[in-house]
Amino acid sequence: MPFAIILLLLSLTYLAFINLTELYTIFQLIDNVFVSIAVILIVIFTSLVILRYLILMFFSIFRVGLKTEAESRKKAFHSHLKVSIIVPAYNEEVVIGRSIVSLLHQTYPNLEVIVVDDGSKDHTYRLAKRYESQRVRVLTKPNGGKSRAINFGIEHSSGDLIMVVDADSRLNDDAVALMVQYFDDPGIGAVAGSVYVVNQHNSITRLQALEYIEGLNMVRNGQSFLKLVNIIPGPIGMFRIEALRKVGLYDHDTFAEDCDVTLKLLAAGYAVDFESDAVAYTEAPEHLLDLIKQRYRWTRGILQAIRKHRGYLVRTQGRPSMTFVLWYMLFESVFWPFMDIFATVFLLYITLVTGVNSLLFFWWSLFTILDLAGALYCVLITKEKLSLVFYAILYRLYFIGIINLAKIFATIEEWMGVGMTWGKLDRKGRI
Amino acid sequence: MNLITFMTFAILVITILTLVFGILAYFLYKVRESKKKVHVAEEGYEEILEKKGVPYLFLKQVRIDDGTPR
Repeated sequence: MPFAIILLLLSLTYLAFINLTELYTIFQLIDNVFVSIAVILIVIFTSLVILRYLILMFFSIFRVGLKTEAESRKKAFHSHLKVSIIVPAYNEEVVIGRSIVSLLHQTYPNLEVIVVDDGSKDHTYRLAKRYESQRVRVLTKPNGGKSRAINFGIEHSSGDLIMVVDADSRLNDDAVALMVQYFDDPGIGAVAGSVYVVNQHNSITRLQALEYIEGLNMVRNGQSFLKLVNIIPGPIGMFRIEALRKVGLYDHDTFAEDCDVTLKLLAAGYAVDFESDAVAYTEAPEHLLDLIKQRYRWTRGILQAIRKHRGYLVRTQGRPSMTFVLWYMLFESVFWPFMDIFATVFLLYITLVTGVNSLLFFWWSLFTILDLAGALYCVLITKEKLSLVFYAILYRLYFIGIINLAKIFATIEEWMGVGMTWGKLDRKGRI
Repeated sequence: MNLITFMTFAILVITILTLVFGILAYFLYKVRESKKKVHVAEEGYEEILEKKGVPYLFLKQVRIDDGTPR
């Protein structure tokens, strides 16, 4: 397997060279200022994307290497730290039971579970009430959004650490125990866990499964090498209560409250880490329009969170790491989708103008090889199926194009200030 | 036609189709969401009671999209 990754990286270098040569030929062949600018932009963008992949992969390899045997032996219980698990739930009757049961199976002893029914219109509250015990409390409040439900739960909690778990997620039994150990370090404000797709029934959910393991094992592992994880995922995240109180708990002014609260913690100087073995299994959208709906909300939410902290984009304000994180997020959520579609359209134009130019094929191959190398590495360090690697080809062939278009439309609508609602997805109850 | 030319042509066609399909899918999503909003606006229980001038509404179970009873 490592040999396959090296082979893929060598092919990558070769393809990068061919692409550069072909682009240079076009640069010389077509005497047009717009074409010249486009070629320069594409070269810069492609270099940045390759650098981003390689840096994150190397950081991730270092990070995995650092998780030595000694560190895994550290997985002792820290029973002096009480954990309050907050489960905000709105119309989650299909999944709430299984979610609570998975929390009750946690090996960490010192915890309480607080389910906050956010004014559900279905039987969520009644079903959750069935599990009420000494360890589980079920609260209800009028509907006010996820962030208000989380804050409501925090106000009624008594833990030193707050864990937020989505109601459509199921945790592995040692997730809490694994995450608690990070809080020995007083500089740690929060820890993210891994999210895996549980309903891998069709190509859309399998492509998302691939996306999730790449996002987690390459991106988040890489970010955690610097302790600069930029999003604590909704399905599984743990926070130090003092840190949350210091930043004023969750705000209600974005549609990506998890991203916003993470940025607030980073801005307050806290480190944010990642535990890859603490796993939450979650349902991914099974239909394309539901997936677009989810990505639309994520994109706009992330842009809203970036806008809130935009001061750090131009001035470090004593936190250069925060400036770096914000530029990185801006690159991933705005520049990348725009440049990807721009480059695709430009290469289509070149192909049609110059006859069938092979640059389109080489450019596609370059990114596909990059995705294949990333996917293979991620499958290697997780227990996911090897067959997922081959979805990297479909991922580049059509999936990412459709997602990037949705992100571009979402960005334009956010820029124009078009109104939006939360856009809750229907659960299928597959956790 | 050699292999690279064939692959370029195939990717050209798939890319064009993806771009068209991506734009269509986005607008389909927008249409679906706007229809849902209209649907939700029509579902106010008290409003319908008031409009119909009746004390109760009798609901009928129907199947939508995925076959799940609602």
